[in-house]
Amino acid sequence: MNPATINLINQPLLVMESASLRLGRHHFGPYTLTLHAGERVAVLGPSGAGKTTLLKLASRELHHSGGHISLLGRDIRHYSLREMSRRRAVLAQTTHVAFGMQTELVVSLGRAALEIDPHLTTIVHNAMQLAHAAHLAGRKMDQLSGGEQARIHLARIFAQLWDIEQGLVMMDEPLAALDPGLQGELLDSMQSYAEARGHALLAILHDINQALHAFDRLLLVNNGQLESQVKADLHALPALQSLYGIHLGSLMTPDGQAVVYRKKNAALTARPQAHSHLNS
Amino acid sequence: MRIPFRSTPSAHWGNKWHVTLLLATTLLALAIASSIGAVPISWRDWLPPLHGENTGNSYVLWELRLPRTLLALLAGGMLGVAGALAQGLFRNPLADPGLLGVNSGAACAAALTIVFADSLPWGLPAGLRPWLLPLAAFAGALLVCFTLDRVARWITPGSIAGLLLTGIALNAIAVAVLGLCTYLSTDEQLRSLSFWTLGSLAGAGWTIVGVALLMLLMAIWQVRRLARAMNALALGEAAAAHIGIEVATLRSRTILIVALLVGATVAWCGMISFISLIAPHLVRTLHGSDQRRVLPLSIFVGGLLLLIADTLARTLATPAEIPVGIFTALLGGPFFLMLLNQTRERIG
Repeated sequence: MNPATINLINQPLLVMESASLRLGRHHFGPYTLTLHAGERVAVLGPSGAGKTTLLKLASRELHHSGGHISLLGRDIRHYSLREMSRRRAVLAQTTHVAFGMQTELVVSLGRAALEIDPHLTTIVHNAMQLAHAAHLAGRKMDQLSGGEQARIHLARIFAQLWDIEQGLVMMDEPLAALDPGLQGELLDSMQSYAEARGHALLAILHDINQALHAFDRLLLVNNGQLESQVKADLHALPALQSLYGIHLGSLMTPDGQAVVYRKKNAALTARPQAHSHLNS
Repeated sequence: MRIPFRSTPSAHWGNKWHVTLLLATTLLALAIASSIGAVPISWRDWLPPLHGENTGNSYVLWELRLPRTLLALLAGGMLGVAGALAQGLFRNPLADPGLLGVNSGAACAAALTIVFADSLPWGLPAGLRPWLLPLAAFAGALLVCFTLDRVARWITPGSIAGLLLTGIALNAIAVAVLGLCTYLSTDEQLRSLSFWTLGSLAGAGWTIVGVALLMLLMAIWQVRRLARAMNALALGEAAAAHIGIEVATLRSRTILIVALLVGATVAWCGMISFISLIAPHLVRTLHGSDQRRVLPLSIFVGGLLLLIADTLARTLATPAEIPVGIFTALLGGPFFLMLLNQTRERIG
């Protein structure tokens, strides 16, 4: 653990106690989890499993009908929207910006709840730099590609909690619209951003390798339930196999990084093997 | 350490030069428009009639022409900012109060008042009568705004096509009620009804100008506080809530202001369409889509547009007069088609 993650108040950032929600015929939860400042947690699961709903409950976009959710020891229903916005930032899957706004304006909107904001221009500039979006300054949103728009929104999230410590950053597939090179760079940006401030990261991902490399813990969600929580290492493979219903193998690269891949034509019943080593 | 510094809405309220230039343009346009017309006006007529010898031309200028041009500016400004607010609220450049049926809702309520107010079993005190029409128009506009907000969100959440179609349905209902009023009205009532449906600034007087100025100033004061939150709304309601904007409050407040502005203009000038569609669009094309600029500039552009349209309506067929609503519709129809062409990929 790095120093910033040592919580001074020594209480968890986010606590969900059997929080549940009924939407029509669908039932979500109960979700029970604890998130500490500085932790990096990835949410994995097949499509339609309830990952986004879990995030929406935690961010109070949806109101839980049962259970209890608290942020820094305080019931999230007792927060004003403004107070919430100074403690947690949310990056949704897609955000369409109306009227083709300028990119800097969109990034500065992350701090729209602040009446007094002396360092706004500097923060917007730095956040755009960190999100690899500095070159997009002065452009209009409706002239940008999907990947470029995604970077602007990431910069907006960065700007929102720029001068806060021990906040919570929630992201719904933040890297989906980006090419592989940028995915890696932005993942690094997110990590350094969160680490410097002691922010916790809660991100929905589809890439098992990204989840294993850049995160501490995995939340496995299926059928509207939180199936299990595991440490993000190769011991998580059996749980991941049953989560996705696929067979996984792993390789070790020469520089000592484990890479997980999907095995073809392998019977699911077979026990996962100890990982083989890649000889290059 | 925190330095108390307001990231002010007024910093973006346009820099001082622009405001001065705009004000000068507006005053110049006002002077020119007031000088043109059936009765020629010389510079001497501009001197206030001090000695009690109110010559014919000076009377025309001070009692007829000037209130009318001023009302054109004010009503156009009110329509312009109402349009910008509605477009911001529904996050679409096509969401014009006129197209969505807010104008016809207000006109419909005004028509009901004209035709049925006399036959009410209880008599109204004479002092209240002048306020009855604006009140009814406001109530009609508010009802349509509220219905739009609820019904369109319920039936077709988030779709501009659904919103516009709901507007068509509400328009149809309002037109039907207007037709019923026309059918039941006496000759005298019919004449004032056609004033409402075609739109005209001929009813201008200093009292109305005063009240309109007061309303516009109140709207400006409110809008200054809403502009930043309106920007956030462009990200969508969920994202706006995530960055700490009380979306529900913003919605209801915006709806209230739009209904007040549209209701007032309809009560005084009848249905004038498309100013509220064109003005914000022109501003966004020229100055970008930051609501802190769009909202105030829409006031100026809307005012100038209506002033030009009304001056044309007054002077093209002298001594007769064409209702200004016809002019703005002739201007706005093709403009709407152009806008539709620009945004077609997002409708569907």
